[in-house]
Amino acid sequence: MFKKIYNFFASLKLTIFLFLFLAATSILGTLIPQGLSPERYQELYSPRLFSIFDFFSAFDMYHSWWFTLLLVMLSANVVFCTFQRIPRIWRLTFRGNKIIDDSIFESSPIRKTIALQKNLPGIEQQSADIIKTLVATPVKDEKDGRIYLFAEKGRWSRLGMILVHLSIIFILAGGLIGTIWGFNGQMLIVEGEQSDTVTLFGDAGMKKLDFSVLCSDFTIDFYETGMPKEYRSEVTIIEGEKEPISESIRVNHPLKHGGIKFCQATYGIAGVKNFQIVAKNITTKDESILQLNMMKKVRLPESDTFFAIAKFSPDYEGRGPAVLGVVIEPDKPHDIFWIFGDDGKINNQKEGNFTFMLKDFEKIYYTGIQVSRDPGVPLVWFGFLTILAGFILSLFLTHRKMWIRISENENGGEIKIAATTSGNRKDFEKNLERLLPVSGAE
Amino acid sequence: MNDTFIISIVTFIYFFSALTYLTSFIFGKRQLDRAALVITVMGGTIHTAAIILRWIYSYRLGIGHAPLSNFYESLVFFSWAIVIVYLIMRKRYNNSLIGAVGIFFAFLPLAYASLSGKVIADIQPLIPALQSNWLISHVISSFLAYACFAISFGSSILYFLKLKSRKTFQRILPDLDFFDDITYKMISIGFVLLTLGIITGAAWADCAWGRYWGWDPKETWSLITWLIYGAFLHARLAGGWRGVKMSAISIVGFVAVIFTYLGVNYILSGLHSYL
Repeated sequence: MFKKIYNFFASLKLTIFLFLFLAATSILGTLIPQGLSPERYQELYSPRLFSIFDFFSAFDMYHSWWFTLLLVMLSANVVFCTFQRIPRIWRLTFRGNKIIDDSIFESSPIRKTIALQKNLPGIEQQSADIIKTLVATPVKDEKDGRIYLFAEKGRWSRLGMILVHLSIIFILAGGLIGTIWGFNGQMLIVEGEQSDTVTLFGDAGMKKLDFSVLCSDFTIDFYETGMPKEYRSEVTIIEGEKEPISESIRVNHPLKHGGIKFCQATYGIAGVKNFQIVAKNITTKDESILQLNMMKKVRLPESDTFFAIAKFSPDYEGRGPAVLGVVIEPDKPHDIFWIFGDDGKINNQKEGNFTFMLKDFEKIYYTGIQVSRDPGVPLVWFGFLTILAGFILSLFLTHRKMWIRISENENGGEIKIAATTSGNRKDFEKNLERLLPVSGAE
Repeated sequence: MNDTFIISIVTFIYFFSALTYLTSFIFGKRQLDRAALVITVMGGTIHTAAIILRWIYSYRLGIGHAPLSNFYESLVFFSWAIVIVYLIMRKRYNNSLIGAVGIFFAFLPLAYASLSGKVIADIQPLIPALQSNWLISHVISSFLAYACFAISFGSSILYFLKLKSRKTFQRILPDLDFFDDITYKMISIGFVLLTLGIITGAAWADCAWGRYWGWDPKETWSLITWLIYGAFLHARLAGGWRGVKMSAISIVGFVAVIFTYLGVNYILSGLHSYL
């Protein structure tokens, strides 16, 4: 029973199946948008399709039970396979090799026997040169009149494979730690305000921090082409009695505080303030600038008429930002009309003595800061480093061993060759063939 | 001189080079292979110069950054990466047909970039998300990986060509093992580079978006690609698979590469909207 389970999880078929099945199912999550609201999905899909998708958690499929199960199976597969192979690789890597080992010439994967017709002078030197070319400078020993040569290189290469697989375990474990003990969400803070609550992604509720984040200012810089150059939030961390810390957060330049990372994610306009309205007296041609905020009335110059702003539109009927102005004259109904910023369009009061133009106003921004904590990150980074080290070991090192035994007698003798390689065996054999001094019979 | 103009000249050089390789293959003329190599190296040198020139121009415009930041620049770099990978691999796998296919693949992105008229070739300033030290290492490792996969795709196609073609044509084609070996070698190197590309991307995402992995379509598709080639390497190294099945997986893998590179941006939407 255990043997069966063990064999199942240690099988290569499972590995290939999981790799390809994970790849195939991952495609679904890129075709079905993830993490939208249920209402949005009901608009997108028919009720039947919706219920099928919903059943398979297709709207958050990378965190669904079945996707998680696949990842757990992959982890089990990696663990089983790796540990199954460790003893053999350990042996191949760390077990010392005997220089004199007659059995190796019968058991090694690459073997060759060459019969010598007569004693060749310098055959030992030639053999040593072959080993040196293919592997490394050999060591020599003699026994019963036979000469034994042996060399080895790239011992560590096979450990690369172990390291790569352990790395996958580190990375998956780091991901798991992050999922359990980390959080990820967003804070929207209006300029001048502060907050200590993070709205977690994926309907996971709110998270209260041990400190507040005050956004004193949000700015956008543009290039001459109109493309955004920089988004910057000036923030202050306020934590009890401690000295407040002021920092700026820019895209790619997050702020870290108390193990929590703050990244510039989004922004928006929360409101407008400090309007400047040019009021022009039609008869006297006098211009004056009214400075006011929403719903605050001001007296027009040299009159008993008042002016106020009732509404702001960032883009009214495609004609740009506009305010809804209200002119209040005694004993008359209120005169209400839209006022634009464009000089070309005179925004006349319907009846009366003034024209108006929206000269300027200030936007009140809110900044959207992504707030996250992930205690699994160091392990993931460690896994990234070890996987690269593992690849380098297995890619750039080839573990090779080579033995040659020369036996000579009065009739000639024989050379026996044995070798192992973790690299391309065909190439090795081809090179060996090329180097051999005499073509002999197998 | 305008770098985009130079690139359009390089496009023709590569086309000519691929044609020379093909002629060399068909008529079995080694001298033509040498000539094609000279043309390729010439094209590659001018190509490199154009990239450097564009880099310099961006500084003159006061928005200096490596030319790896928009679709046009990515196509130009993809082509460059294919040429570099080809020039390295040809030391070991010298065959005119591989040259023809490899350089033709280098020609394609350049042709689209400079001749289609659909790709904006202007030097644009870097948007905030791209202003990072990770940009260069992430783009270089990803596109070198794509280039390796392009060559492995080419050799897999040739594998099937050898398998299915008529006898007369078969005789001049190299062994099946030759293509099988190229496919494997290119994928094993490409896989390491893709891993590096994903790692640098994760480090960058952690810095820019506060998480190293978020199942964004680009991220997911890079993982899909990684899984397909991962399956390939396991089947080959641990299972000893060879031949038809391997070439088939390699072709599927390259479809995933192309989708990761282009499909995600043109069909799906996500954070990685700038390529």
